[in-house]
Amino acid sequence: MKLFRHTVHLVLREPRRSLAALIGVAIASALITSVLLFGTASGSTVTRRALADLRVDAQVVLEQGTSPSAAAATVAADPAVRSAMPFDLAHFDAATSTRNGSATQTSVGVLVGLDPGYSRSTGLFSLSSGVVKPGQIAISRDLASNLGVVPGDPIVFALPGGASATFVVSGIVSIAGADLILGPIDAAHRAAGANAPVNVAVMSLSDLETRVLSAIPPTAIASDPGAGGANPAGGVTPVFAVDPAVRRELHVQLDHAQLPGDPGAAQAWLDTVRRRVERVGAGSFRWVDDASASLEPLAKDLAWGQILFIFLALPGIALALALSRLVADATADSTRRHAALLRARGATAGDLRRVFVGATVLTAIGGAALGVAAGAGVGFALFGRDLVSAGLVSGLLRAGAIATVLTAVLATAAAFLPLRAQLREEIAMGRQELQRGRAPLWQRLFLDVIALLAGLMVYVLAGGSGIHPVLNAEGNPTVTLALTSFVAPLLFWSGGTLLLLRLVTAVVRRSRRLTAPLGRFLGPGGELAARSLAARLAAASRVIVVLALAVSFATSVLVFDATYRQQQRVDAQLTLGADLKAVPAEPATASAAGMLAGPGIAATTPFVDRVVYVGPEAQDLLAIDTATLPRVVPLADAFFSGSTAAGALDALRARPDAILVSAETARDYSIVPGDLIRIRVPDTNGNLKIVDFTMAWIALEFPTAPKDAFLVANLGYVSAQTGNDRISFLLARADGDLASASLAATRRLGSGWQVSDLGTTTARIANSITSVDLSGLVLLDVGFAILIAAVGVALFLLAGLAERRRELATLIAIGAEPRQVRASILGETLVVGVAGIVTGIATGALVGLTLLQILAGVFDPPADVPAFPIGLLAGMVVLIVVALGAALAVAMRALSRISVVGELRER
Amino acid sequence: MRVIEARSLTRRFAGNGVEPVNAVDDVTFDITAGSFTSIEGPSGSGKTTLLGLLAGLELPDAGSVRVLGHDLGRLSAAERARLRVRQIGIVFQSFGLIASLRVGDNVSLPLALAGMLQRERRMRSLAVLEEVGLGAAVDARIDELSGGERQRVGVARALVTDPTLILADEPTGSLDEANGSDVIRLLVEAVRRRGSSLVLVTHDPASASLADDRYQMRDGRLTHGASA
Repeated sequence: MKLFRHTVHLVLREPRRSLAALIGVAIASALITSVLLFGTASGSTVTRRALADLRVDAQVVLEQGTSPSAAAATVAADPAVRSAMPFDLAHFDAATSTRNGSATQTSVGVLVGLDPGYSRSTGLFSLSSGVVKPGQIAISRDLASNLGVVPGDPIVFALPGGASATFVVSGIVSIAGADLILGPIDAAHRAAGANAPVNVAVMSLSDLETRVLSAIPPTAIASDPGAGGANPAGGVTPVFAVDPAVRRELHVQLDHAQLPGDPGAAQAWLDTVRRRVERVGAGSFRWVDDASASLEPLAKDLAWGQILFIFLALPGIALALALSRLVADATADSTRRHAALLRARGATAGDLRRVFVGATVLTAIGGAALGVAAGAGVGFALFGRDLVSAGLVSGLLRAGAIATVLTAVLATAAAFLPLRAQLREEIAMGRQELQRGRAPLWQRLFLDVIALLAGLMVYVLAGGSGIHPVLNAEGNPTVTLALTSFVAPLLFWSGGTLLLLRLVTAVVRRSRRLTAPLGRFLGPGGELAARSLAARLAAASRVIVVLALAVSFATSVLVFDATYRQQQRVDAQLTLGADLKAVPAEPATASAAGMLAGPGIAATTPFVDRVVYVGPEAQDLLAIDTATLPRVVPLADAFFSGSTAAGALDALRARPDAILVSAETARDYSIVPGDLIRIRVPDTNGNLKIVDFTMAWIALEFPTAPKDAFLVANLGYVSAQTGNDRISFLLARADGDLASASLAATRRLGSGWQVSDLGTTTARIANSITSVDLSGLVLLDVGFAILIAAVGVALFLLAGLAERRRELATLIAIGAEPRQVRASILGETLVVGVAGIVTGIATGALVGLTLLQILAGVFDPPADVPAFPIGLLAGMVVLIVVALGAALAVAMRALSRISVVGELRER
Repeated sequence: MRVIEARSLTRRFAGNGVEPVNAVDDVTFDITAGSFTSIEGPSGSGKTTLLGLLAGLELPDAGSVRVLGHDLGRLSAAERARLRVRQIGIVFQSFGLIASLRVGDNVSLPLALAGMLQRERRMRSLAVLEEVGLGAAVDARIDELSGGERQRVGVARALVTDPTLILADEPTGSLDEANGSDVIRLLVEAVRRRGSSLVLVTHDPASASLADDRYQMRDGRLTHGASA
């Protein structure tokens, strides 16, 4: 009890010591709390992203004999349901089109019946061209391409059970985003990742009911029961499950405002809604929960994501804890003074240890609690809306508990070692560090070098591992993460930190050499600064390392984030093709590029994407204009195997019949550059014509190309050989603002073109982790790095002032002008600042590169060149300089309060 | 010629919740050029505060002081610092040496502050160190010296600019009797050689007895003459 009283007494009677310790711990705790809250908030982002493209939350499958209108009324009555729209689907066994006496047939597909308001409500099945009138259909682009039909042509559909139905094509419909509802709904097919049909015809509900459903026997099944799922090896897994020929459904949209942000909680809520509706339905229908299926993999993704976010913030947390060490340095005098006082009152060494460790624990707990409050404030300010949605109270309690325990324990441990050393020292010990003590254990054991070598080994052995996106059964990209990918950066970081400390200590030991240059720059004050730094070797080394690591931490996070954004853009460019893509509703030729050119558009190029046949296999042939394409689309060397981007384009230019083939095609058909390839390409009428090409190079990626099999050839050659000069779309590079360019393009091309831009594509292709905007985390990490730099340097300067009060008073007494004394403090700040910032940027860039390995698999292609955000890095350096200026101002203020006569009076 | 003219000098300190105390109370005295003056008094009598006022380290709450013709109250902090570095040498009881600097660098510090070049600084500091018998210790570390040697370094630093006025605050206070008398002898001889004025604050009557002029200080008040 007496010791506890002394402990509390120590905390209260040494307010500066306690406050300094409190600030160090509070910063660490605030950073941990806010990063954990970012992780919690990211749950909302991930949930929102997972459901963003989901136009239909649930498919209510009606049992035979169930009245659609009665079921719709039952479903719509649930408070969570926003709308329930009828949707009927019938499989067809084949579709045939006869033109000019020759018949073209395609295989299986589906006929869909929709309400007039369905497309408006869901955004699905929008018409790219034409209209759908009674007795007419709009067909998917694939069906049109496969049959070679144009509006006005009739198509005969062979229905399950033997009947047929004939419809006239009146438009083209987009089936983008409809995979889940067009594909099989049974668990077996979905688990196998069964493909959705691409041959799709859309008509009114009444046409489907009267002319199709009535002709299909109730027991008929789809003739494609083995619509297999893609397996990881690229093959097809047969699925032995019956898919009925007809499905009558209600498509349900839920009120997303009621949906909890956390994926797990959201799934539980969806489950509750399903049970509630099914209970009322009493077996008349079955609820297929598409939303829940989309959220299924997210809980695991999110857990990995949170590990990643904490990992990115880990150096910051370590740095904040390192402040505890600087605090111990800064308050060493006060510790010694108080220890002497207690010794004089009869305290034993054990008592002293208990009192001081108790005070450290008390301030650590207080600082941790203070940090939780500050971190909660920061987290709420940055991600308030998402936090509320993800569960504010539970998130806060969890983050607060983790941050308090973690920082209290770690900060106590971080402060304990220097404290033990201070208590061992004699009270009258000199304040200077002139003695050459034995090097610390880690230096003698070369742990820094060992950690770096181990990191290098792990980096090489685990190369390429990291986060790997895979498509789940619902078609959503999900991620798996290799733990080993965290090991290398962790070892690099810890080994690098220790090596930096070793090197900086060695350099600072020689800082007397700075006497002359600093003297020239700052006068006698500069010379004093150099000598003072050499005298405070350990403390100076520590603060330079803390500053360097703070800068390194901020730099690595900025490099990581910039590369992450760069790859998001590259990914989007690969998917979209360029900044802008304009797809014509009616046939258009390459001359349309002239219509698009103008203000806001830097360059345009025509592009053809046609389904062709290499042997029996359908592939995408990309026909390009080699003269204009490079001005529109950035082609990376990594896109090509055995050639650079320029080399591949030169090869296409050199031979009109040159063709680039995908690695998969080259492997499957055992072809090498120079080989002849005969490909069946559709002409204007849709008839396949054999065209000869010569293989030039292998293309691994190409803008707009699918990931597996594709071909790239000259547009002029393909047009001339097939007599088909229609283009698929135009690509354009924006001149300045993307949105303005998109508007200008839409205005110039008119309503017959659909213009999409990179901005919307970036959001659409994001997977569960990459959908999280890292800017909040970057802001947190960089902000705390700057704060740590400022506090670290301020503590060093204040500790220096505390140690050198008499020395500075002597200087003033023998005639140092105020500016000369200030110059000595400025000189120390300059040396510490320049050394810290320069080494920090260099090591930060290196750490940033190793961090990229973690995300090597997220982007396709992986980042081969990291992005260095020069502007942001410069801004960060300016902010750090301002922060050092603030630390300097604090020190100057403390300097101005020194009473010269008071200090010189012998105590 | 007077090097110091103090008129009704008063310096007041406010304590924690107690009435303000006059550490220096209405002190008036003059010191002439080339003289050796001692100010005696017990601890807490205000001697160091008075010395601080004479050195321009603090400004009086009342009264005025002219040092070497300059009214310190009218000078800025920088001007007072320049006056000290060029014309006033100070010797401290606790030596006032900077442990991170070698002996020679400590001695040449006032010259560095005055902007003198390194080479000239070294020559002058070596000369004055030889004068105090420590020429061989120019590159020694402070912690390698004894107490007496440290104070001789302190004396050398006070003398290195050949100041007109030397203020010594209990220079023997941290030394044993033998070392103390050596240091005083050294200091007085060096001052006499230069023709400078010396103000010695001390509570040691033996040191004070060497002075040309003696003052006593009690409770902030200064009286002329030796103690009874």
